[in-house]
Amino acid sequence: MADNAKPISTGDFKPVTAADRSHLDSEKISAPSLTFLQDSWRRLRKNKAAMIALIVLIILFILAFGSGFFETHNPNATNPNLANLPPKIPGIDINGFNGTIMQSGTRVNAYAQAHAGNAYYLLGTDYLGRDLFSRILYGTRISLEIALIASFFDLAFGVVYGIVSGWMGGRVDTIMQRIIEIMLSIPNLVVMVLLILVLKPGMSAIIYSIAITSWINMARLVRAQTLELKNQEFILAARALGESSLKISFKHLLPNLSSVIIINLMFTIPTAIFFEAFLSYIGIGISAPQASLGTLINDGQKNFQFLPYQMWYPAIVLSVLMIAFNILGDGLRDSFDPKSRE
Amino acid sequence: MKLNSLAKLGGVALLSAVVLAGCGSKSSQSGSKKQEISWMTPQSISTMDTSKMIDLYSAQVANGTNEGLLRMAKNNKVDPGVAKSYSVSKDGLTWTFNLRHSKWNDGTPVTAKDFVFSWQRTVKPKTASQYAYIFANIKNANQINKGKMSPSKLGVKAEGNYKFVVTLDKPQSYFKYMVTQPEFFPQNSKVVNKYGGDYGGNSTKNSYNGPFILKGWNGTNDTWKLVKNTKYWNAKKVKLQTINFQAVKTPSTALNSYNSNKLDYTTLSGTLAANNKNNKAYTVFPQASTTYLEFNQKKIPALRNVNIRKGMALAIDKKQMVNKVMQGGDILPKGFVPASMSKRNGKDFADQAYVKSGTDSNLTEAKKYFAKGLKQVGKKSLSLTLMGADDDDSKRATEFVQSQLTKLPGLKVTNQNIPFKTKLTRMENQQFDIGLSAWIADYPDPSNFLDLMVTNNSYNDGRWSNKKYDALVKKSENQDANNETARWNDMVQAEKILMNDQGLVPLYQQGQAALLRPSVKGVQAFTTSPQYDWAKASVK
Amino acid sequence: MVKYLGKRIFYIILTLFIVSTITFFLMKFMPGTPLTNQAKLTPSQIHQIYKQYGLDKPVWQQYLVYLAGVVHGNFGVSFQFSNQAVSYLIGSRMGPSLIIGGQGMIVGVLLGLVLGSLGAVKANTWIDTTSTIVSILLVSIPSFVLAVLLQYYLGLKLRWFPIADWGGFIYTVLPTMALAASPLAETARFMRTEMVDVLSSDYIELAKAKGLGKVGIIYHHALRNSLIPIITIIGPLTVNIMTGSMVVENIFSVPGIGEQFVKSVLTNDYPTIMGLTIVYCAMLCVVLLITDILYGLIDPRIRLSGQSN
Repeated sequence: MADNAKPISTGDFKPVTAADRSHLDSEKISAPSLTFLQDSWRRLRKNKAAMIALIVLIILFILAFGSGFFETHNPNATNPNLANLPPKIPGIDINGFNGTIMQSGTRVNAYAQAHAGNAYYLLGTDYLGRDLFSRILYGTRISLEIALIASFFDLAFGVVYGIVSGWMGGRVDTIMQRIIEIMLSIPNLVVMVLLILVLKPGMSAIIYSIAITSWINMARLVRAQTLELKNQEFILAARALGESSLKISFKHLLPNLSSVIIINLMFTIPTAIFFEAFLSYIGIGISAPQASLGTLINDGQKNFQFLPYQMWYPAIVLSVLMIAFNILGDGLRDSFDPKSRE
Repeated sequence: MKLNSLAKLGGVALLSAVVLAGCGSKSSQSGSKKQEISWMTPQSISTMDTSKMIDLYSAQVANGTNEGLLRMAKNNKVDPGVAKSYSVSKDGLTWTFNLRHSKWNDGTPVTAKDFVFSWQRTVKPKTASQYAYIFANIKNANQINKGKMSPSKLGVKAEGNYKFVVTLDKPQSYFKYMVTQPEFFPQNSKVVNKYGGDYGGNSTKNSYNGPFILKGWNGTNDTWKLVKNTKYWNAKKVKLQTINFQAVKTPSTALNSYNSNKLDYTTLSGTLAANNKNNKAYTVFPQASTTYLEFNQKKIPALRNVNIRKGMALAIDKKQMVNKVMQGGDILPKGFVPASMSKRNGKDFADQAYVKSGTDSNLTEAKKYFAKGLKQVGKKSLSLTLMGADDDDSKRATEFVQSQLTKLPGLKVTNQNIPFKTKLTRMENQQFDIGLSAWIADYPDPSNFLDLMVTNNSYNDGRWSNKKYDALVKKSENQDANNETARWNDMVQAEKILMNDQGLVPLYQQGQAALLRPSVKGVQAFTTSPQYDWAKASVK
Repeated sequence: MVKYLGKRIFYIILTLFIVSTITFFLMKFMPGTPLTNQAKLTPSQIHQIYKQYGLDKPVWQQYLVYLAGVVHGNFGVSFQFSNQAVSYLIGSRMGPSLIIGGQGMIVGVLLGLVLGSLGAVKANTWIDTTSTIVSILLVSIPSFVLAVLLQYYLGLKLRWFPIADWGGFIYTVLPTMALAASPLAETARFMRTEMVDVLSSDYIELAKAKGLGKVGIIYHHALRNSLIPIITIIGPLTVNIMTGSMVVENIFSVPGIGEQFVKSVLTNDYPTIMGLTIVYCAMLCVVLLITDILYGLIDPRIRLSGQSN
């Protein structure tokens, strides 16, 4: 069939120059080399919602932890003569921010009524005349602190538990899994309440009780991932080279588990924030005069009919925190997920 | 009784009773409206067994469904109840009650034996009644309560079916008020024996001789009804057919329910009260109840110094506390014994025993006293814990008091809010530094308050002690017990000593702010337990 | 199957045993007694009350008595309601909680399924965005805030539903709505992810290639296959409902066990706390068992262990 092939002339060939050579290298990667995390970050940056959430969180963190700079008043200083004042922002004359409030059908200037003079409170005051803005900042800080510390404990314990269970396998794994199954069938709020009762209500009791109940998910995910990684070549190679289990977990397992851990953490934090608020709301959380978002909402809820701002603002801050963490968590999951790579 | 400020709703008042009675003068149109009202209560009934009742709300319901020898009436009077009349012997020790022919709701007659049965049952240790001590002044009650004597030896007897005789240890002019209380109600022995330990556990395992019958309470639910008792001896005077009770635990929910006409009565406190002050239905029911601070002198030696106590007392701005923080119906205190509870010759006990420095507020003076006190005890600073219950009002009160006390240089105060019962137990065992307490009178007599601060009284949590005070209270109860003037003067002197020495700090006298629908007339209210009486109420 | 069931039931009993033991000893560490007026009681009265509550025996005996009681469904006597058995207390308050919890679960899951599948089918359109926003909002607003808002706006302002109280279907609407929010949001999020996965799978492509209608594909293939994993989140959703009911019942005056649990915690009513803890665990165990069995029955790929031969 190929009998009548066209003869090839020398004009069809030309020498390869150095410049051409670099072009033709099929092994060469044209895009800049990116680590896994860099790649994820690149994809996360493309997710607008997640980036907004991240920025919102950064702002909230700065406000809450730098609250010393932003607080307009001492969050615990009481001044009952200026109690229950509505929000007032100087220079803004919009109902809701000009210090007026509806009282039996008519709008009155609450600041003038209380003879507040030139004082103003950005988000109003509570029933003891404490500045709500400063208290919300303070409360946000408490909520975030509790959530972060509890998540850290849960992370440390959950990750170790998961790695040990997955790595050891066999009987140890079975027993550890049974323990998890039992823990799963106890509603975690009940455990928290019991623990807080025993430990006496307060910040540390809340941290312990959240940490003790929330590590299970982390442990399960880490274990599943460890089981998968355990049989891969690079681990086998490390084992064959005689590295200790401890070193393998730190040098090889942990980096590969990081995405699972980070994603799960993003969902643990809002859960912890919610539980702290819940416990404070039902009256066994943070004790007065300290404030957390939960106690502020509980206080505000009582007067919602007359002073709606006392519940709205802490509730909005709490919801924004939760929304931001949830969206960021979703974004991180997408960007870590190899399937979503374009 | 030791008062949980949650329990405030129980309050009852002379003033408002007068006002209400005044409103009810146009009685000609009655009967046109449905005689049914809905009443809010913050807690469900814990038991209907009057021997075991320990809370105000159950007692409130019991006062609607049952009746003792006498019935509490307005202006510190008593109305005839099961007893038509009574007489007291010259020495004040023997009380004879002549009973009327009245019936239980099952048709059997209420007799003197039912009283003997009930009182013996409450006092005997086997019943384990937590209020049995209130019988202490009845002959042999203490011995029986300790299990050292048979219950049949109690100083009560039935002479025939309709004469009931009580023998006391010491004369007690206010005994007439005590027999209006649920602990002194009769019990139908047949019904009690039939149900045994379950007696009073729900609305059917009980028997009623009062204006109303309890219906629809299964022992744990949050709604129940009081329905008119046709067998009640005075039934023709009872106008209401039904009172619907609803236990509402969230104050704002209760207010919302009132505003949507689901309730005719609801209690208010704090901002909710302040925002309803212009409401036509807004009513304040004063109470014979004082909220006060106790100093633990046993545990903290520095608190034995009177200047330190005075400094702390003066530092608290009570006016601000009442008007700006509590905001309900609470009023400024005049002393430990509440105002407008006991009067003699038209003069109020609280006015006669008034000591200005005991209830005053003055921060500059306070700082001077406190600094002087610290010097005397040789300390630079004090760090104390303020203990209170964990309900809303207690939390607000402790938060405010803490913020006021920290204005004293060298004083650091931290708050501890714990469940009411735990707080009681801790304070009774001197496990506190400063404690927030409240006391509501069991009967309208100053002795009910003054007794508390006697050296060995188990409710004297702070262990304040003053020999002169003890002697005066003792005298009023013994040699002066039958001499009204001498007794009154003893008690006035005693209160003055207590306030001059600042044995405690009265913070405010409680009053219950509430919304009571103006169409509901004739609800009787008292400053002491048993709180409200609906027997004469009606809808117009 | 029988072997599997037996094993699961054994684990449930083991769990309940461990929970009873732990709560019993935790509660023994706590202060608080059934006595209200300790200072005014005589020793013989105190003895009598302790005897009534079984507190006069040494702790190990109390423990055995308690365990024996739990086996018979007897959790002792409540401190709050004198002479009222905790099991009666729980029994008589269980109904309302089950009603609003069950309704909340059904409404939440059904609406969540609709919202989630709409989002997946119309992926990357405004419908998808709306569904995502709704589910994120509902998962982020705490139930206690939502309940207050519902009561104020739908109850007091618009007067559509009763503000509080109990007595008929209409009274359950607001509490049900407050409880449904969290399962709705969780189901919607889960459903959307599952369905997007399923819609991009090979058999859907095959069905499209065969020329099946869009509705047919979604209904016969996508929906059914994404529904199966939803069963696995019923357990966690039950926990959400239990948590939510503790405040929602309080705000709407529903005479249920959630409200009772919080009240018992605040008044140190230990027998009731212990009883309710065990009941909550038992309920969750049963839900988990049922969902696991259902999962095994519906999805042929899942074989319950113990069934393999």
